Amino acid sequence: MIQLLANWILSFDVLSGIGFSVAWGLSLFIVAALIFAFVAVNAIVLVYIERKVSAFMQVRLGPMRVGKFGTLQTVADALKLLQKEDIIPLLADKVLFVVGPWVILIASVATFAAIPFSDTLLAADMNVGLFYIVSISSIVVLGIVMAGWASNNKWSLYGAMRSAAQMISYEIPVGITLIAVVAVVGSLNLQAIIQEQAGTGNLFHWIPIPLPNWFIFHSPFLFIAAFVYLIGATAEINRTPFDIPESESELVAGFMTEFSGLRWALFFLSEYANATLVALLVSIVFLGGWQSPFADYEGAQIGFSVITLVAIMWTLFVRAKTGRLSVYPLGLSLILTMAVWLFPGFAIWMASPGIFWMLIKAGSIIFMLMWFRWTFPRLRVDQLMYVSWKVILPLSLINLMGVAVWMWLTGEIQF
Amino acid sequence: MARLHAEEMVLNMGPQHPSTHGVLRLKLRTDGEIVSHIEPVIGYLHRSFEKHAENLEYQMVTPFTGRCDYLAAMGSEHGYAMAVEKMMGIELPERVEYLRVIFAELQRIASHLVAVGTFGLDVGAITPFIYCFRERELILDLFEMASGARLLYNYIWIGGLAHDVPPGFVEKTYEFLDAFDERVAEYNQILTGNKIFIERAADIGVMTPEVAINYGVTGPSLRASGVNIDIRRTEPYSIYDRFDFDIPLGQGLQGTVGDSWDRYFVRVLEMGESAKIIRQALDQLPVEGDVKSAIPRRIRPPKGEIYFRSENPRGELGYYIVSNGKNVPVRLKMRSPAFSNLSVINEIGQGWMISDVIAILGSLDIVLGEIDR
Repeated sequence: MIQLLANWILSFDVLSGIGFSVAWGLSLFIVAALIFAFVAVNAIVLVYIERKVSAFMQVRLGPMRVGKFGTLQTVADALKLLQKEDIIPLLADKVLFVVGPWVILIASVATFAAIPFSDTLLAADMNVGLFYIVSISSIVVLGIVMAGWASNNKWSLYGAMRSAAQMISYEIPVGITLIAVVAVVGSLNLQAIIQEQAGTGNLFHWIPIPLPNWFIFHSPFLFIAAFVYLIGATAEINRTPFDIPESESELVAGFMTEFSGLRWALFFLSEYANATLVALLVSIVFLGGWQSPFADYEGAQIGFSVITLVAIMWTLFVRAKTGRLSVYPLGLSLILTMAVWLFPGFAIWMASPGIFWMLIKAGSIIFMLMWFRWTFPRLRVDQLMYVSWKVILPLSLINLMGVAVWMWLTGEIQF
Repeated sequence: MARLHAEEMVLNMGPQHPSTHGVLRLKLRTDGEIVSHIEPVIGYLHRSFEKHAENLEYQMVTPFTGRCDYLAAMGSEHGYAMAVEKMMGIELPERVEYLRVIFAELQRIASHLVAVGTFGLDVGAITPFIYCFRERELILDLFEMASGARLLYNYIWIGGLAHDVPPGFVEKTYEFLDAFDERVAEYNQILTGNKIFIERAADIGVMTPEVAINYGVTGPSLRASGVNIDIRRTEPYSIYDRFDFDIPLGQGLQGTVGDSWDRYFVRVLEMGESAKIIRQALDQLPVEGDVKSAIPRRIRPPKGEIYFRSENPRGELGYYIVSNGKNVPVRLKMRSPAFSNLSVINEIGQGWMISDVIAILGSLDIVLGEIDR
């Protein structure tokens, strides 16, 4: 993308004299700014959505006053945070206190450089993309420990220590789960991983249910791995039920206790950036990234019809169980199915890959993370460690072996 | 290799802390995450209730009692009114007794809803708290209908009620009760049976019956340890002997008898029992009767003293009143259940983690207004 942008800049007559290296440098800055803008806008939108989702789950309205349906509420909040006084505690370690939030933010924004949003839309096509993301995102814990220690506050210290223990122990199972996928593809390049998932095929290779070739349907082991990864990643980004580093009912605000205003906003930004990153990574690694779930135009028609059938059954089930009539899933799927059957162009578009699918998939994962957050209680520190070392880690190791055996059985690899 | 220098850290939890249920300060001696000693420091909400009472006429004390346990003001007022009535030997009209029981039990449900919800909040579940408050609002609406206030009512007066309930109150209460049973099932679905919640609450902070009795723990926290003591049953006051209800006891369904989960679940069950009592009381409520007919003109209890106890949502609420025959009490001592319940925290909270201390504190269901008075 940087190459393309540089060439595009040079294609203007006025700018053609600046030379390729300057154009290259300029493109770097533009792309970096674009990524940061994406992260920032994304956080503002996600905060709004999270408030609305939580309100929906808690029988409330959520923000309604600022803008239509409260859409500008998060913008107003961001402005308020910018205006707040910048307080550094007297006894804090000033350098670390200032640097900490930035380390976290930079680490979480930098990971987006390797995320492919579509077949062309990615900042850096690295052959070690997955490795890059895993390694850069683990810098976040450094920033958290810096911030927690520098605050010179006991709550912050507890938060930082918990965070360090948690993130380090969850990185291992998460990494091993990703290695299972890498073993299937034979590459760390994210584009290669996505391209491997094109088209449709049988569920678990043999069961004759036509499903997309996504890795979640590749084998029972990768199916489990997807959930193991999701659990591990939820812990890694400190979200409920694993939000013990900032657990507000115990540690006040954990490592963020002493931070306010803009510095606190940086934590917030990176929190949502990390959530988005995990959602994007799940959809890339297990759900086919920017690939469409439908192989072709007929596949889209049949696929949507099946979805409508499921929606009808779901609606009837809900009606029988609770007596309520939920029309939205049914209505939406009906409209989409009709559109797919009536307009072939729409069906073709639905069957083609693109950023749309990426965002839909990542959005669903983010919704799931929000769902977790607003329904689950929080685990305790030792229970968290138990889950990591005694449940998830063995499971991910078994998965890794299982995937290898599975590939040998299905003939994907020969010895 | 030289040994690393390690020492215990004193952590001040509160008085400003999200989970100490008010301005309670806990001095925790911690070794890493493990808490080795807990010292509750109280008095941040001291308002001299007892000294105030020595300078106020009897009927003027009523609003102050509500301000002690502000989550169960009806219960406090009820207890105080009954204590003075017993001193003076006032016979109450039937309708007053029934209405008082209805309000006391509604208040018990409202108070337990806060307890259950905030316990969920303490272990990190936010949504159940909002669900609980949704139902509490309905109860507060009923209170507002009757007394005009939503939190501190000054409704149960010595010898009667401030005024009769408005028309439509009984129907609305029935409506609430019909909806309420379903809602309790909702809490059980989202919180009680949740695996993480059970992990966080079961086997945590086990209070044996001996410990509970030694520390004077009363109310649901005591019954969660398996001790069948409920003043409504053991020494029925008011008209509680006329109703058919069960006393839920802790059974250790998810762990040990007397753990935090039991203390939580006993409250959930008690809400259902209170709903049963209210339903019976509404069925039997006499239509006729002046709620103000027994209110004495001059409140001058005869010379003497009395200790009267009643079952508040938090436990045994006792009033010790000394009268010299004048219209002002010489001494008024309140035996507040939350105070005794809090005193047990070091015994059952030692050796657990910081997160567990929060859970144990939440399961004891304290109200600081009543502890500090």
